[in-house]
Amino acid sequence: MQRISLYAALVIFLGALGLSWLTHGNGVVRDDPKHHISIPKQLTVPLEVWAAYNGTDVFFRYRWPAPNAGIFHDMLRYTNGAWVTQGEAVPGSQPEGLHEDRVAMMMDDGSVPEFGRYGGYVTIGKSLTGFSDEASSRDVKNHPYLGKKLGLDESTKYLPDTRKDLSDWAAVVPETEQDRLRAAGYFLDLWHWRAHRGAPVGYSDDQLVGVARLGDSGRGAYATNWDRERKQPRLMLDAAKVGKAALNWDDITQGRVGQDDVYYLREDQALPFDPNAGWKEGDTIPRRILRLPQGSRADISIAGRARWENGFWDVTLQRKMDTGKPLEDKILRDGGAYQVAFAIHRQATGGRWHYVSLPYTVGFGRRAEIQPTYFQGDAPDWHQTPFRATLFYPGQVSWPHLNSASHAGAERIKAGVPVRYRHTEEQLAHYGIEAEFAEAIKTQWRLTLLAGIGLLAAFGIALNLLIQRK
Amino acid sequence: MDAYHVVLVHFPIALWMTAALAILWRAASAGPLALAVDRALVPLLALGLLAGVLAFLVGTQVWPWETISATPLGRNHVLLAAWTTAYWALLLVTRWLKGDAVWEGFTRWIMAGLALVGSILLGITGTLGGHLVGIHTHVSDALRMLGWEVFTTFYVPTPTLMAIGGAAIALIALGLVGRSRARRGT
Repeated sequence: MQRISLYAALVIFLGALGLSWLTHGNGVVRDDPKHHISIPKQLTVPLEVWAAYNGTDVFFRYRWPAPNAGIFHDMLRYTNGAWVTQGEAVPGSQPEGLHEDRVAMMMDDGSVPEFGRYGGYVTIGKSLTGFSDEASSRDVKNHPYLGKKLGLDESTKYLPDTRKDLSDWAAVVPETEQDRLRAAGYFLDLWHWRAHRGAPVGYSDDQLVGVARLGDSGRGAYATNWDRERKQPRLMLDAAKVGKAALNWDDITQGRVGQDDVYYLREDQALPFDPNAGWKEGDTIPRRILRLPQGSRADISIAGRARWENGFWDVTLQRKMDTGKPLEDKILRDGGAYQVAFAIHRQATGGRWHYVSLPYTVGFGRRAEIQPTYFQGDAPDWHQTPFRATLFYPGQVSWPHLNSASHAGAERIKAGVPVRYRHTEEQLAHYGIEAEFAEAIKTQWRLTLLAGIGLLAAFGIALNLLIQRK
Repeated sequence: MDAYHVVLVHFPIALWMTAALAILWRAASAGPLALAVDRALVPLLALGLLAGVLAFLVGTQVWPWETISATPLGRNHVLLAAWTTAYWALLLVTRWLKGDAVWEGFTRWIMAGLALVGSILLGITGTLGGHLVGIHTHVSDALRMLGWEVFTTFYVPTPTLMAIGGAAIALIALGLVGRSRARRGT
């Protein structure tokens, strides 16, 4: 009988261990839109990068997998006699697919030393939009500098030294100090290609990250197609030029509109909106007006065509190596070494639901991870092997957190140890997700630890009661 | 304190691994050498526990609690270290209190199995400690293949916690009923 009881105790003990093994990691990590949480199923995505230059222009070519061509952005749909916005940003994928695919590249020339070691992490300040503790749009709009002067309505990326307090997004240093920092090159150049807001007119956005994520000077490639007073679009498609005055909602959501169709609203293919044009249920007009960008905002163009084909985007961007605007662009020189970090959006995601890379070096005739090929002529032939980067979902990990007592590597950051010395992309993706559920996981972990000790103690008691001493 | 922790962990590892070998040997043999090794088992396990507790305590001083409890690898290392220490304490208490009875019949193989499980726990704890100081091994790859990504915190959901609680109660009840029956001679 004792022997049977001993076997039973063993079975119960091993059964509890087995159950723990089989169920571990469950019960906490889940999508939670209320707290801006949506976890992608795939945590890493490869990105191939080619680069070339001819002494005057530089070309970057990007190729990455995407299950579909995400060419749509927000739309205005005629519903029950009114124009209703569709495709507003949500955590994770926009259900109707109304969020464009993108590729972005931040670039520095060594003026932001932390960027070369930690990449985009240095731009993730406290309470950015999309984080569970995001600053409210009202607070940003009311901020005397970010809202009132720069016109921001969301808390965007910023560089650490643009704040008096690392952990306070609103503690902006005085404007004179910002000017001083900018003049010293303390900003990141940001190339930002968007499949909807830019690609149809052949341009990538040219932005920068300093006190915030801002556009370069000049006019951007898109504006909002909405007349607030009349609650209607400002423009509609010109049927004489594109064959229709509006798109059809079902065609958009059921994949019947492709890259070779008109899926956008270009200023030069549009007419002022006519409310009496016989609109019918399901008529849909893009909420963005596309136009040719101007000034420094127009520095980066698409070389050839940006295409999605066979499950991959293939996008090539071109820019003057020296744009003549050193306060807005990183000036590239033959023999120069630079730092870059990449990001992509796919599957109708926006905001922080992107995949990002660690920083890499680019050397023009210099030893570096990415070495642009020198060529003569107007267009490179891309014969070289691409550089392969691994992009990862970064979760909610901010620079203030990384420099706090909650991060075991904070001392290493102070010592200047690069992120790649201790972390892989896969590891960072897991850490990023755990950061989104930090308190809940910690609580469950504590309980698991205690439960395990309790189980061991109970097993020990059972063993000692059941084994008879001679 | 990290350097001291690294030095100290060698002692419980060495002592518990030696103890595991002694248990396996004694389980497999009743020869004079196995009997001699068994006589050293309680001191080995006791010294191992002492060294283990000391290494654990020093380990808690390497990073502030706020830091170590905020990192998945740190949490896993603490959890495994606590379980490993408790586990080997269980073996010590059992061998100490029950004496040679643990080598009777099938119980000896239970002891052997427990020693193997203890060695695995010890190995995982050491592996996680290695990760924390930047020394990686393929043990984490093996664990990944078995279903645990070591860069994620090991925790179980609440229903499993309740099942573990139920298992603990069942184990104690089983022991009490078993002892009661043994006393009654049934």
